[in-house]
Amino acid sequence: MTAAWWRRALAGTAALAGALAPLAGSPYRRDAADRTTGTIDVAELARVVADQEDHVSAVELAGWIRAHLPHLRIVDVRSATEFAAYHIPGAEHVPLDRLASTAFAADDTIVLYSELGVHGAQAWVFLRALGHRRVLFLRNGLHEWLDDVMSPTLAANAPAGAETAFARVAELSRWFGGTPRRLTGTASAPVEPRRRGC
Amino acid sequence: MTAPWIEGDTSGAGLAIAVACGAAFGAALERAGLGSARKLVGQFYGTDLTVFKVMFSAIVVAMLGAFWLGQAGVLDLARVAVPDTWLAPQLIGGAVFGAGMATAGLCPGTSCVAAASGRGDGLAVMLGMFSGVLVTGLLFAPLRALHESTARGPLTVSAWLGVPYGAVVLAVVAIALVGFGVAERIERPA
Repeated sequence: MTAAWWRRALAGTAALAGALAPLAGSPYRRDAADRTTGTIDVAELARVVADQEDHVSAVELAGWIRAHLPHLRIVDVRSATEFAAYHIPGAEHVPLDRLASTAFAADDTIVLYSELGVHGAQAWVFLRALGHRRVLFLRNGLHEWLDDVMSPTLAANAPAGAETAFARVAELSRWFGGTPRRLTGTASAPVEPRRRGC
Repeated sequence: MTAPWIEGDTSGAGLAIAVACGAAFGAALERAGLGSARKLVGQFYGTDLTVFKVMFSAIVVAMLGAFWLGQAGVLDLARVAVPDTWLAPQLIGGAVFGAGMATAGLCPGTSCVAAASGRGDGLAVMLGMFSGVLVTGLLFAPLRALHESTARGPLTVSAWLGVPYGAVVLAVVAIALVGFGVAERIERPA
């Protein structure tokens, strides 16, 4: 068999495989949206956590929202009442028990959050077990958003370098309707209120 | 058991596979004769379209393989990472890449192949390439705004045009086969 014969045979194979492709439907697994069981690669997840690739900061998330990051899905896993009271702009409400049955596209970047971060982190494990790879959570949950984006503060005795960072965050905060504050005199950082929830 | 069997591109196994793929890619380039700058530059003069044929063959084989393995349930495409699209920086980067390739007569892969074959021009292009990477890294602060602009996420042709995956597969195969035919005619000496 000559090289020309091989060329024709391979071209014919490619043409046949290409011609049949539109008739075959989507190559993505049909059961992907229905999966409620999954497996966890513990070593891989441990590496992701150790490398701090599992979470996103509230300020970084705010930047993504403002920049209209494509395929960004912000998922609020709290109760419907809490979601109705306040949620991060653009967030959708998916409680933990509906997480497995919710369809996420392969190219979605999913950011999960709860009140304080615990349920958000648990939801992260669930979605990773179901095979979603572009999943992150807000480490300190909605409170981090409220503290760092909606009400950022700069202490009076803050080091010089902090000024530039604060100016950037303050500008971002105002975009979301927040109220950045510079603490004056002997005022120290605001006392952390006792937080409840997960 | 469904592929991909190894997840995470920085694991030991992932890196080992990357090295094996890189070596196989380099061997394929060498076998195709792409370590020669004359061969690559021939692409721009229309006298030798080997690069076009080798690269497009690789694209068609990978695409058909991914599509039909996905159909057969052997490969879970939802777990295969799709690189992000950043329109403006990638267009500019592509233009710079093309200009560099036409000037040097080698691209990153073929320069490594040429250097490994003992060619001085390959080594020079490799040094230039790594110098460019270093300079870009040093100048990254003013380039950051451009680098982060026009983000489109992990965009596929299918999602972009809103057409079924299979239709894109058929279109790419058709373009490739027509392209191969045209390339064969162009290459023939007048």
